[in-house]
Amino acid sequence: MAGIELLSDQGFRADGRRPHELRKIRCRMGVFRQADGSAYIEQGNTKVLATVYGPHEITGGRSKALHDKVLLNCQYSMATFSTGERKTRPKGDRRSQEMSMNLRRTFQAAILTHLYPRSQIDIYVQVLQSDGGNYCACVNAATLAVIDAGIPMRDYVCACTSSLLEDTPVVDISYLEESVGSPEMVVALLPKSEQIVLFQQNSRLHVDNLEKVLDMGIKGCTDVYGILDQSVREHVTEVSNLMMST
Amino acid sequence: MIKTEKHLRVRNYRGQTVRVVREHYLREDVPCNSELCLAGCPSDGSRTLLPMATHYIVPDCQVTRDYLEILELPEITGILFLQTVLHSVLHHGNRRSYNNIRKMVKDPRQQCTIFANEYCHYAYCERQPGELLKEWQLRSVYEAAVWYYNHLAGQVSIVMITEDQEFIAKFAAKTRQVFLLTMQEYLKTFWPTLSNALDIYESLSASLSESTVEKDTTKGYKEYLPQEILSAGIKSGRYIQGCVHVNKHRPQREAFVQRAGGGMKESGTDSDIIISGMLARNRAVDGDIVAVELLPKSQWVGKIISLTETHEGIENTEAMIDSSNVMPTGRVIGILQRNWRDYVASFSADKENKGNTSKAGKVLVIPWDYRIPKIRISTRQSDSLGDHRVIVRIDSWPVDSQYPNGHFVQTLGSIGKLETEISSILVENSISIRSFSEGQIKELPSNSSDDPWTIDPEEVARRQDLRDSHLIFSIDPKGCEDVDDTLSVRQLPNGNIELGVHIADVSYFVKPNSLTDLEAKSRATTVYLADRRYDMLPPILSADLCSLIGGEDRYAMSVLWQLSPNYDVIDVWYGRTVIRSAYKMFYEAAQALHDGKDVRDDIPELEGLDEEVIQERLRELNFSISTLMSIARHLKSKRESGGAVQLEGLEIQVQLSDKKDIQDLVPKQALEIHETIAECMIFANHWVAKKITEAFPSFALLRHHPLPRQEHFENLLYCAKSKGFSVDTSTNKNLADSLDRCVDEKNPIFNKLLRTLATYAMSNALYFSTGSLSRDQFYHYGLALDRYTHFTSPIRRYADIIVHRLLMAAIKEDEENLLLGNKELQDLCDHINHKNRAAQHAQRASQELFQALYFKDRDPNTDESCVVDAVIFGLRTNGVLVFIPRYRVILNTEFTLHVVIFKSTLTKSDYSCTVTTATSSTTFHLFDHITARISVAASHAHTSMTRFDLVASVPYCSNHKEENATQRLHEKTDIVQEVTRDVKQEVAISTEINDELGSDFNELKSKYGQTKDHCSIYSLLQQFKEMGLEEES
Repeated sequence: MAGIELLSDQGFRADGRRPHELRKIRCRMGVFRQADGSAYIEQGNTKVLATVYGPHEITGGRSKALHDKVLLNCQYSMATFSTGERKTRPKGDRRSQEMSMNLRRTFQAAILTHLYPRSQIDIYVQVLQSDGGNYCACVNAATLAVIDAGIPMRDYVCACTSSLLEDTPVVDISYLEESVGSPEMVVALLPKSEQIVLFQQNSRLHVDNLEKVLDMGIKGCTDVYGILDQSVREHVTEVSNLMMST
Repeated sequence: MIKTEKHLRVRNYRGQTVRVVREHYLREDVPCNSELCLAGCPSDGSRTLLPMATHYIVPDCQVTRDYLEILELPEITGILFLQTVLHSVLHHGNRRSYNNIRKMVKDPRQQCTIFANEYCHYAYCERQPGELLKEWQLRSVYEAAVWYYNHLAGQVSIVMITEDQEFIAKFAAKTRQVFLLTMQEYLKTFWPTLSNALDIYESLSASLSESTVEKDTTKGYKEYLPQEILSAGIKSGRYIQGCVHVNKHRPQREAFVQRAGGGMKESGTDSDIIISGMLARNRAVDGDIVAVELLPKSQWVGKIISLTETHEGIENTEAMIDSSNVMPTGRVIGILQRNWRDYVASFSADKENKGNTSKAGKVLVIPWDYRIPKIRISTRQSDSLGDHRVIVRIDSWPVDSQYPNGHFVQTLGSIGKLETEISSILVENSISIRSFSEGQIKELPSNSSDDPWTIDPEEVARRQDLRDSHLIFSIDPKGCEDVDDTLSVRQLPNGNIELGVHIADVSYFVKPNSLTDLEAKSRATTVYLADRRYDMLPPILSADLCSLIGGEDRYAMSVLWQLSPNYDVIDVWYGRTVIRSAYKMFYEAAQALHDGKDVRDDIPELEGLDEEVIQERLRELNFSISTLMSIARHLKSKRESGGAVQLEGLEIQVQLSDKKDIQDLVPKQALEIHETIAECMIFANHWVAKKITEAFPSFALLRHHPLPRQEHFENLLYCAKSKGFSVDTSTNKNLADSLDRCVDEKNPIFNKLLRTLATYAMSNALYFSTGSLSRDQFYHYGLALDRYTHFTSPIRRYADIIVHRLLMAAIKEDEENLLLGNKELQDLCDHINHKNRAAQHAQRASQELFQALYFKDRDPNTDESCVVDAVIFGLRTNGVLVFIPRYRVILNTEFTLHVVIFKSTLTKSDYSCTVTTATSSTTFHLFDHITARISVAASHAHTSMTRFDLVASVPYCSNHKEENATQRLHEKTDIVQEVTRDVKQEVAISTEINDELGSDFNELKSKYGQTKDHCSIYSLLQQFKEMGLEEES
């Protein structure tokens, strides 16, 4: 792809960030009253809405119920207006199904599932605008929504992408950087214990570079954690202030 | 950081416009990269503008695109390239100028930098709705310039160069000290003395203004397809990507496209593609990377197999085409990358032609290289430069123009002068030689008689001291100044033998990224021309401090092996050492010593010693040399038995043409000592290669020799078959074995010729970075080693310096962070390979030049040295290719293909061809000896070429009996071109020749017979040079 310089000699990426810098993250919790928990997150131009229902009774047939832990139901979808060209199928395509499955696995590792046997938790995430790192934004949004719903978790789940441009590891890649075919690595992390709950690698990466890209991804995740944690604290103080005043 | 958004409209792969929103972050910490900065911008190392500049130049987008050449001049420094400008250069499709800017910025001598204005919070200005791209770019550049001026608190004035008069009028008075000038005004105000720049400016602007005039006449060229379609087509396999190679002998008719991506994988299907004719070539110039579409099979043609003479572009109309043997034929449908360089050209000698064109200010110039089409340039100096060689550059080749448009850059001098011709050779091979700069000399230690350089005791403490423990000596060609390798060998108390190779420690003096290092990197190799050489390192290093001169303490990099009595390697040690070479010998003396002759006169170090001491010393030395030789013999046989092959004859030929290795300079019937030294060096290189690949599996610099392509062996197989031999080319071992069998007792030259042909089939050895090739491609075909590198000549080759650094890092003596990554190293390797090839070509061209000078003086009709024996080794439909055994000593680099041309009709059968004229007919067979005469065809626009004409179809060294045959052949003089003398004269002369043969032969032998090394070829060619000079005056 001629004409675009992904990493300049001065160490700037195409959008003016340096390799280790995240995109701007803004988030809000409790955006909907109807759901048990909800959150909205913006990572750069990627915008995601997450809602959580539950824990509640199993819907649609008791046979699905698990006797020792909660049933986790996740659904990932992309709004038809989320990409440059209108999407014809907002959910249920192969990619969305894969994303849903990944999301379920991620949160099964993080939520204390044994507390709610024979019940169900639903996590719905919807991508409103897509600009790279969709999955990570979804994970981060879902974390906030789960916290908002008051479901106990082992830790926050923070996700971040990283990649390798011209032998330099970069963090939180945008759609532009994604689309040139650089190796994209997705890491979801439990920051306190530094346990990796999801690790995904798209396209080939030389094993020599794996470590530094992974380190970059982990660093990105811990940075994301800082931001999420701060916003949760702000939200909680805000809510408690409101309750005090009423 | 502040986040904003950029809204773009981008065309997608289906051709629809899509609205794209990209983030754009503005930040405060963008470094200004100036040393004058008061705000404490974080600087990133070497890339800074110098404070001594009186002003900084800020060129705008248009100026940078059009006049980059002027900005590239070394005199003009302190240029600030803005990111906006850089993007505009990149987006308008000119990746080369973009890379040039990047190169300039990396080179500290140019003192220019890039400022990322679009990311800077204060210097960025958003594009207003409805604002044209051009206006926005101009405004951005101006805003950035103003910000920069304020940022530096007005310490320097800023000159913004733009060609937009409207903008100048509008903004000129807005900010004091930020001046808006056009390029012309700028050059006139600031550089009134730099006439060079003004010249370039004028020719550039002339060619620019001209290109805006549209013409309607179509010359039949087709427009190129758009890039997206090309790249999609290449991916799907519909089009083929490759590099254009124009046939030198038939530049108008024939060109080949060599498919990209190396051919070893599927050698069956990817032969070269013929591009026949200028229309099919569609404005591609030699060296361009193009996309080709194959024509239907019915339109495929074969190679042109007849010989023609090309003089000043005139071609024979009838060219025979090998219609039985068609090759894939295609046409160029798009250019992926132009590879235009500087071309040497001259004005047409035709006066009439000149008169017509100069009115319009446009002249056609004829490039020196036959393969390049004529170039149309605009200049008013065509009268004064009529007999000069000039450098021109191609700017564009519009679809409606028969010839490309270019501009004049510089004159080299008048045609025919030696200096002009030499600099033409250098320019044609893109070798630019500046003298070493003052800053560079200052970096280096000095060594004079009143302030002698001594080794540093602290440094000695860090190194292994071998000065007293080892007998170290060097064996080099006579008169060699830059001794970079020495040897030592000694018996250890435990019965083992210790072999040491000690190489000059250049990397100690040349620190990474120092000026010397940068200069050496850009030169990459020492360039040897026939009469001079251009060193890679300044003389203080190459001839003095790094050179391992006898009797002086020097730093070295050593490899010491402990060998068992059977010469198996038990242990190896690498490290830095201090050595003192005891003897500096030359090859002949060492060999004589080994043969038991008295050589004390040849070893100056022995002078003034007692007889007994001398005897003792000689015995020591003799022991060392004998041991070395037997080690070398063993190493060689081990290489052979380990599947390795003795391709010596071949290897030498290959390597001779690039003349870089000592071992490679050794001709086939060399003294054994040559081989011994070569073998030791190969051994050292091999072991160093092993070590660095182990330590750095993904970024070590190695050298590999790829397998040859089987189709290149066709000529060899054909020639061998004519004599009833078969050659097996499947592996290197089989090839060498079957070549050994091909011996014709009656014709000793036969074997040599076959080896030469085999050599032509070989690919070149190349440097590479281990990370970029798979492990099985590391193999060195010629030497039959799995890993090989260059370690032993750091004074002459930059690759060796890199290898030294790698080795030091591998044994943990230097910190690793100075090493290059795989990508950078591969780039560097490509650069070195490129430079090496250029150096070889230049060397060959210079030798041809001197060869031509040598024969120019001689009248081919009277001078006996112009009549020589020749052997036929190739047949064409209207001539034969011959090889001249006698002059190959001079032509050392290669056995040039010489062409004999017949006027008459000629029929060709399998292994012979018959010439029929009105009076007689003669048949020529492959490997027949004939007599040929050498003459020089002078040329105005090109180099003078040596030409060969057939004199007689019998061997030249004939006795009187055969003279009658010669006489009979005189009847055939009408079939021979340019034979105008009458029969009697010829008889007289040929008798004379035969009489003189004896003395002449001896003289030649004494003159050339022993010239095994390049040094004495220099002295020989020096004579030619003098002859050339005399002729000039």
